[in-house]
Amino acid sequence: MSIFDRPKGDKTQRFEAQILPHLDAAYRFARWLSQSPSDADDIVQETMLRAFRALDSLKGDDAKVWLLTIVRNCHRSAFSQQLRRASVSLPDEATDQEEFTIAATDTPEAQAIAADTGRALDRLMAALPEEYREVLILRELEDMSYRDIATMMNTPIGTVMSRLARARLALREQWQDRYAGDAHALR
Amino acid sequence: MPCAESLRIHAYFDKEMDAMGAVDIERHLAGCEACRALLQELEQSREALRHGLTNFRAPAELCALIASTIEQEETAQVRKSPRATRPALSFWLGAFSGMVATAVAAFMLFLQPFNNAVVDEVLTAHVQSLMTSHLIDVESTDKHTVKPWFAGRINISPVVADFESQGYKLIGGRVDDLDRHRSAVVVYQHGKHIINVFSWADDHHSMNHEITRRGYHMIFWNEGDIEYCAVSDTAWNELRTLTVLMQEVSRLAGEFK
Repeated sequence: MSIFDRPKGDKTQRFEAQILPHLDAAYRFARWLSQSPSDADDIVQETMLRAFRALDSLKGDDAKVWLLTIVRNCHRSAFSQQLRRASVSLPDEATDQEEFTIAATDTPEAQAIAADTGRALDRLMAALPEEYREVLILRELEDMSYRDIATMMNTPIGTVMSRLARARLALREQWQDRYAGDAHALR
Repeated sequence: MPCAESLRIHAYFDKEMDAMGAVDIERHLAGCEACRALLQELEQSREALRHGLTNFRAPAELCALIASTIEQEETAQVRKSPRATRPALSFWLGAFSGMVATAVAAFMLFLQPFNNAVVDEVLTAHVQSLMTSHLIDVESTDKHTVKPWFAGRINISPVVADFESQGYKLIGGRVDDLDRHRSAVVVYQHGKHIINVFSWADDHHSMNHEITRRGYHMIFWNEGDIEYCAVSDTAWNELRTLTVLMQEVSRLAGEFK
């Protein structure tokens, strides 16, 4: 996904081939973990640097799992650093609205509904506890296996399984609480 | 009441069951309405999440920063070997190569100890320019006014460009006498923030890097034998963006030589 305009080193070639294809996944995960565009930027930049430095340690592993694990570590260390400084970062502005994409559907009405549904889902997701959000993103969006998620979180597979089930239930209950009777409900 | 098998339905849905288990669950599904409903819910929820959630993608600016960080990192590694030449390496991410370019954003983690005196004198000059009325000697939003103004006043011709459309308005220039260097300063306005970009002649090619001092962010980089330092109280990314834009201008200028 990247184009080199000049000769590049071996390591950079490997980085381009193995890591860069997962850049958006890394960003998406960072964004959902941190819930902040600017923090996500910082996390991903740090992640990419760490990934480049540690590239030699990526042997037969799944590069995406490896990279998302770094994202998670960066997020956690950034978060604990914030706690230590006892400072609260300002919430990023609601101008994120611009970033909401509208699903490609036929009519303007359908588009509006799709956009609304999307925003509502974003809000519900954002309101979930981090440990739920995390498993939902990894499983439902990134299609990671229980084993990979367990490795990433350093927990038994059984824990991943039960947490995922609770997370799905929580999301569903939230949806039903807020949109009970709504025609565009999750059904 | 959820069925006792519900957890296994999740696993079945996630294709985490072995063949035997799957057959077992399918047999159970045939006779359990609650589990059939659950399976359907799981499918619907996944569809909703995959298509309904905002699909965040790494922004172009971030990609440019990563490109430059990696370039920087590789350069730093090469420099560890004596007198190795700087690899001509620069890469672009994504489909936005037209708008973003190589940048310099070194990471604090691998900074070589930098000359603190330079940091201090540049910062002092920055703060003084904000406190006194001596922010600008030549007031202009036109690079063709500001750039020639430096000629005759200082021995370098730094990058001067207006990036108003990107949010960085050129408002003028001045010359500051730092302790060691006479410095050309190009002044940008970004929102309510003033960004001073200092530049001076320096053959030492110090490492590009970033530093925060007394609440001000500073980014150092060099182009040939000119050392640059952008200073401001903006957020990191806002300052980095300006440096990316300036380096792009330098790069293009180099290509047209």
